[in-house]
Amino acid sequence: MMTAVVLAAILGGAWLTAIYRENGSRAMLLPDQVMTLFPAPRPLAAFAFTDHDNRVFDLSRLRGKWSFLFFGYTHCPDICPTTLATLARVHENIAKSTAGAKDVQFVFISVDPNRDTASKLRQYVTYFDTTFLGVTGGDAQLGNLAGQLGAAYQVAVTRGVENYPVYHTAAVFLVDPRARYHAVFAPPLDAEGISRRFQVLRELEGPQAT
Amino acid sequence: MRWRHPVFAALMPALFALAATAEEAGISVRDAWVRETPPGMTMTAGYMVLQNKTSRPQVLVAASSSAFETVMIHRTVARQGMTGMEHSPQVELPPNASLLFAPGGYHLMLLNPKRTLRAGDRVEIRLEFRGDLVLLVACEVRK
Repeated sequence: MMTAVVLAAILGGAWLTAIYRENGSRAMLLPDQVMTLFPAPRPLAAFAFTDHDNRVFDLSRLRGKWSFLFFGYTHCPDICPTTLATLARVHENIAKSTAGAKDVQFVFISVDPNRDTASKLRQYVTYFDTTFLGVTGGDAQLGNLAGQLGAAYQVAVTRGVENYPVYHTAAVFLVDPRARYHAVFAPPLDAEGISRRFQVLRELEGPQAT
Repeated sequence: MRWRHPVFAALMPALFALAATAEEAGISVRDAWVRETPPGMTMTAGYMVLQNKTSRPQVLVAASSSAFETVMIHRTVARQGMTGMEHSPQVELPPNASLLFAPGGYHLMLLNPKRTLRAGDRVEIRLEFRGDLVLLVACEVRK
């Protein structure tokens, strides 16, 4: 099983950035390397995963909320727990803001469905934050969403080998409440930097986004 | 293994005697910590700052711990827009320099803990350097 789909946005170093202005608002997002904003957010096409409660997780589950998406796997001792701990702090920061975190969700997409069953995923992601959601699916569906987001992964399932190698994009993808791919956060990830930029973006997008 | 464990207490002088060999040779470690194991998981990672105060390179060749079945030196690497882990059979510490074992880079891959590790616990990890130098590192378990 091997899927590798990479878009220029991630690889080519073409940092697409945009300055956001609104009437009467002085806030703007300047180009930087923490968050890459797409000037024209891209609507996502249909996909189908299963969440850690064995419910369908499809495009409709991305609507009405800002979604932070991260690809990984639970048998990952370094990057995945580091990222999930960072995202837990992002969630905490956003929850403390005036607008709160009710319109925000964090989704861990396992690229290793072979080992990551629903119950394992639930146990794993909720350890970092009780509101986190774990989802996974078959190779075709994983490749589908990864391709749409410019993410890549590679899993070398080996029979009889407990810890086979897994490679995955370490970026965090931001999908807006209209289920459009809106921005990407590139590693090294910093909770404060991500929280601040997200809050400005959410304010600027305001009701247009929903 | 907690510090107050009687067996460990009895072994302490012996451990420090061993540790002195690498310390005396000029290799030291600080800020050593191990990530708490998420529930149901059988692996985690250890991080630290290794310092080589000598004027020649020192080579880390192995690591082990009584708290884990297996300890391996790993490095998170990026390739083709993806990150993954690679086993590093040895790591060279340049003369008079520090080497960081940190998230997203070098780390000790700790497999199959012999008991559940909770934040605040302590584990020790034995680092072996070329030339029969041994350094025992006390790591704090952190969330």
